[in-house]
Amino acid sequence: MSQSKGITITESKIPIFAIALLAVIFVLGVFVVGFDQGHIFSIVLGEQAYEDLYIHELTHDMRHAAGFPCH
Amino acid sequence: MKTIIFLTIVLVSGALAGTLHGVANLAIVEPYLDQAIGIENQNLFASGEEEDTPQFWVEYDAYRDWQKGGQVLAGAILGTSIGALFGIVYAFSRHVLPQGNDLKKTITLAGIMWLTLFFIPFLKYPANPPTVGDAETVVLRAVLYLSFIAISGLGAVAFYQLSKKIKSKSKIISVVGYGIFIAIVFALMPPNPDEVNAPLDLVNGFRAMSVVAVSVFWVSVAVILGGLWHKFRPDSQIHSQNDM
Repeated sequence: MSQSKGITITESKIPIFAIALLAVIFVLGVFVVGFDQGHIFSIVLGEQAYEDLYIHELTHDMRHAAGFPCH
Repeated sequence: MKTIIFLTIVLVSGALAGTLHGVANLAIVEPYLDQAIGIENQNLFASGEEEDTPQFWVEYDAYRDWQKGGQVLAGAILGTSIGALFGIVYAFSRHVLPQGNDLKKTITLAGIMWLTLFFIPFLKYPANPPTVGDAETVVLRAVLYLSFIAISGLGAVAFYQLSKKIKSKSKIISVVGYGIFIAIVFALMPPNPDEVNAPLDLVNGFRAMSVVAVSVFWVSVAVILGGLWHKFRPDSQIHSQNDM
């Protein structure tokens, strides 16, 4: 009796769920670092967030260094 | 595809490369930022908006520590974000990238994305240090910058698809087509409306170091994702066959 074993490697489809999740992360991340002017914290802090600009100040140096418009 | 492995290696590679980008900025871009903000401070003192007092400098140092510390965190966030886009594009384009291992493919793709999404838009709308940039024009500048990046990226994809449709074996048609297209867009898009009043050696030094630091990100994300993809093969399923 003979016995042979083989391994087949196939390439599988790209899951839409994963692509959608990565797309959301991409948009959110670019917005936080490049463009937020208090918008995200305003959900919790209201109008005061536009004065405090916590995320803007936190990402300020990267915003300039990565080429996003600032000031 | 192994979804969890795919997501994990894409996000980890982006976060690590972004952290390296933040560290590179701290080392080579930060001195220019300090110099530019120093000019802003002198302008504030000259205009009477602030007084050059010890209290001012205590508050300034705390404020700058927050911004400098945030640089690395912001790098990790931005890196994860751009890394996510890189992962999406790599997953869809891996089979059409040049033959070779995953590292070769990720470096090729990173080079294309660096050129079309960063460097060409940078030539039109280069990074500026603080002191350059009018708050009144920030929305217009953001719209122009994002529009140029989107037009450049989508243009590159469109010309690639076009070369596939006409069944051209050479990629030269898509490269030349994109080159002509982006040159026209470059000429037609309005310039940055703000005047550059800061010293030119400061602005040019800042821009050069900005390009180096962003390039550190693209090289890093390519090397890390290429290595992790090669090791974990999230797109492969292994079937064993037993024949008796």
